[in-house]
Amino acid sequence: MSGIIRKNAWVAGLLALLVVLLVATRMIQPGFGVSGLESIARAALPFVFATTGMAVVVIVGGIDLSVASMMAVCAVTAAVLMERMAGVPAILIVLALGLAMGVINGGLIVATRVPDIVVTLAMLFVWEGVALLILESPGGSTADWLQKSIRGSFLIPGLPNALVIATVCIAVVWLPIRRARLGIAIYATGSDERAAFRSGVAVGRTRIAAYGICGLFSAFGGLSLAALTGIGEPVPGPYLLASVAAVVLGGVVLGGGRGGLLGPIIAVFILRIVRTILTLLAVDPNVTTIIEGTIMVGVVMLGTAATMRGART
Amino acid sequence: MKKFLTSAAAIAVAATLAPATFAAEYTIGVSNTVQGNGWREEMICAMRAQALVEEDVTNLIVAHRNTDSAGQLEDLNNLIEAGVDAIVLNPSNPDALNSALEMAMAKGIVVVAVDAGVSAEGAYILSNNQEEYAYLGAKWLFEQVGGKGDIVYMRGIAGVSADTDRDNGFKRALAEYPGIKVVHEVFTGWQQDQGKQQMFDFLATGIPFDGVWTSGIDNVIVDAFVESGAPLVPIVGADNAGFVQYLTEVDGLTGAAVTNPGSVGGAGIALAVDVLNGKAPGSKTVLVDPVLWENASEEGRATIMAAQNPNLDPEWPVSVTVPGWTDYTMEQIIACKGPGDS
Repeated sequence: MSGIIRKNAWVAGLLALLVVLLVATRMIQPGFGVSGLESIARAALPFVFATTGMAVVVIVGGIDLSVASMMAVCAVTAAVLMERMAGVPAILIVLALGLAMGVINGGLIVATRVPDIVVTLAMLFVWEGVALLILESPGGSTADWLQKSIRGSFLIPGLPNALVIATVCIAVVWLPIRRARLGIAIYATGSDERAAFRSGVAVGRTRIAAYGICGLFSAFGGLSLAALTGIGEPVPGPYLLASVAAVVLGGVVLGGGRGGLLGPIIAVFILRIVRTILTLLAVDPNVTTIIEGTIMVGVVMLGTAATMRGART
Repeated sequence: MKKFLTSAAAIAVAATLAPATFAAEYTIGVSNTVQGNGWREEMICAMRAQALVEEDVTNLIVAHRNTDSAGQLEDLNNLIEAGVDAIVLNPSNPDALNSALEMAMAKGIVVVAVDAGVSAEGAYILSNNQEEYAYLGAKWLFEQVGGKGDIVYMRGIAGVSADTDRDNGFKRALAEYPGIKVVHEVFTGWQQDQGKQQMFDFLATGIPFDGVWTSGIDNVIVDAFVESGAPLVPIVGADNAGFVQYLTEVDGLTGAAVTNPGSVGGAGIALAVDVLNGKAPGSKTVLVDPVLWENASEEGRATIMAAQNPNLDPEWPVSVTVPGWTDYTMEQIIACKGPGDS
């Protein structure tokens, strides 16, 4: 019970921080409104999916360093396929491809017993090469409706389409799993693999499934990159470190077993809005990254201190 | 009456404080996606220095980091939110940024792409004239060998637009000198080690030649001659610090450096201000012509010596200004301070 409260307290704290930052943005730039929210939601889209995928493998007790490379493979595949076929089948193929890449990552880790960090580091280079094989230089094209779908607002102004799409995609994939046996197995494996095994959890299969889910979210991330730019870029973007950062800031414990997906997703928006604020303030770009890093360390330290005090009383 | 006098005095004070001409107050946004590369750093510093000397620019917001096209879209959207009057960008891709650029232009923001083009309708494109770059250097080289002789032609990367444009310029010069023959044509891939090895290999064949044209892989070609003990022939390169230094130091080297300035960034800021002030050029595409520095004449050597500055970053192209476009001094670009920077 206290664990649930603590987890929700962290999420609530992040949410409060997000609101404070939004208000601050509005004070710095009074013109910041619906279009500003929309552009932040759009910019956050690939980060949200990368972070969600990363969070699932961190919860199971692993880490996937190949997230950004898998996104690149999916983005170029989508851009190449959509030149030749309709959008919907292309999207389904890309999602299947992402799932397959994730399952390969997980399968290799379980079969070889080589540490996650080593296998996925190797796969980072493998998937990067695959992306370059599919498309040597940026190109291809994306369906118009896909590019339009992430723009504008849903029903009411101020509720960006990009945010709605991210929420629906993550909920459809994660909620049924979270409530099913697999969800419990993922948390059990991450929290204590041996105990989980002795309680009858198929530990190997659970880990493969978690990596598969990560691959699937990477595919969503790759699709959102293609939708944003209208083309496919074979060189991976800055999504690996950004996703680890958001996972940690989001209250997921590196090592596994604890944390949810909501915290990391809010953390993504916090990190994006910090960049917006620093741009609005015209802060020196070389200082920007220092500030971003400092905020992250500060928040995590503060959060950990608060949690420890809460645990003691 | 007393009230009237005080307000008149206030107006008089305000009038003396205000600049003589009523300057506009523009905020310009900059977006660039490669950090830590000498050419790009010079571009950014040129932008800052030019914004500093443009009296109509009061603020410069620089988004300068290593990122992909999606990241540049994010930066562009943030600049739009910041309410800039113009955006000057070095695009990561000609097609990927159109959504943000079109939105910017719909809001009346002037968009200037420097160094490379964008396909968004209505954006200004300002880049170095690569065809002229090759023509200028090739023509000097052909004159230097007496209009007759065998030339080694060392290109960049096949299929890259800058290489294609330079090839057109080279061919144009070649057509004007029927006595010139290309004995050897290679692609260096713009790689120092590869270009040097190719020159070693060709020197080893013993085939005589009278001059070398390079697409910017230049100082290592001089090294290859010196290391293999071959007599030097006229060499054309770019204004890279290493090659320009060789032009002043290496005994028996006759050569010319053609400028490919990263300071086109500063020209981009100047163009954006011109457009904002209603002085738009006739064409959406503006090409900056290079200049040639040679060490064969007394005058040329003086130009090279003047361009060198020990405070200049050795990674930067030596040509820190664009004649006819930029107005800052060499000290200002080295200081790399924009308006509002302390």
